[in-house]
Amino acid sequence: MPPGTAPRPEPTRAPDQDAHLLAALRAGDEAAFAALVTRYHASLKRVARAYVSTDAVAEEVVQDTWLAVIAGIDRFQERATLKTWVFHILVNKAKSRGKRERRIVPFASLSRDAEGPAVSPDNFQRDGDAWPGHWATPPRPWEDPERRLESLEARERLREAIAALPDVHQAVLTLRDVEGLDAPEVCALLELSDGNQRVILHRARARVRADLARYFEEPA
Amino acid sequence: MSFDEIVCREFAELATDYLDGALPDATLELVEEHLAMCDWCRDYLGQIEATSAAVAHTPAAAPAPDTLQALVAAFRDRPKEDRP
Repeated sequence: MPPGTAPRPEPTRAPDQDAHLLAALRAGDEAAFAALVTRYHASLKRVARAYVSTDAVAEEVVQDTWLAVIAGIDRFQERATLKTWVFHILVNKAKSRGKRERRIVPFASLSRDAEGPAVSPDNFQRDGDAWPGHWATPPRPWEDPERRLESLEARERLREAIAALPDVHQAVLTLRDVEGLDAPEVCALLELSDGNQRVILHRARARVRADLARYFEEPA
Repeated sequence: MSFDEIVCREFAELATDYLDGALPDATLELVEEHLAMCDWCRDYLGQIEATSAAVAHTPAAAPAPDTLQALVAAFRDRPKEDRP
């Protein structure tokens, strides 16, 4: 199945939400630089972790990335957003570090089949049941999800659920859902096919959803 | 994909493709027919969306204070030859 075969309107690029930061950075505003680092450090580290073997190495890669940002900020051409530019630097550095560690390119060997289904087949009726392929244990409605997901406890559960995902899934989920990069940007950044990018994103969301569903089934 | 109908097990795999607008027209039509009939899959889809939104609002861990200080110092001391 070739996904996306129907013609889609060209996405209009969102204005760079960091445009004001960029001007401040070029003017040498230290508070603006600290804000930039604080905003993206954790996400950068999560993406780096998909390429290198330990948290400590990922932290080094992120710090190297910031030094490269400092060195390059005056020459940054604004063909991409500031965020996308920073993530491109990060991925290049993480990749060469991973190569030195002789890590296998993490995104090269993925496929829909190897990934398995996002929702366990046990959740669905089997052949011979009354409604094969329909939910056997349907999702229970979540009550007041916005409010409950704002609680400290829910946020902690969410953090744990994300941390329990495979590194590659964390990287894609971080770029798409935390940082709001669009599918083509993530594919270009991680050198993933459109299909694989979406399979990974969906596995990640489905697993986090399943963890949150258990949280919602506990008494409020 | 050539179904004449989509069942819940199949929709459960396609929710993100659906949200991304990445389904081919023929599949999209079947998905929308299914969603119109299936409360459970609408709940599931809503939960995938709520999960995605909640992930977006997970506060990120800040860098260690001494790391941040060192990086800000590097920013302060950067060579400025390229600037007017």
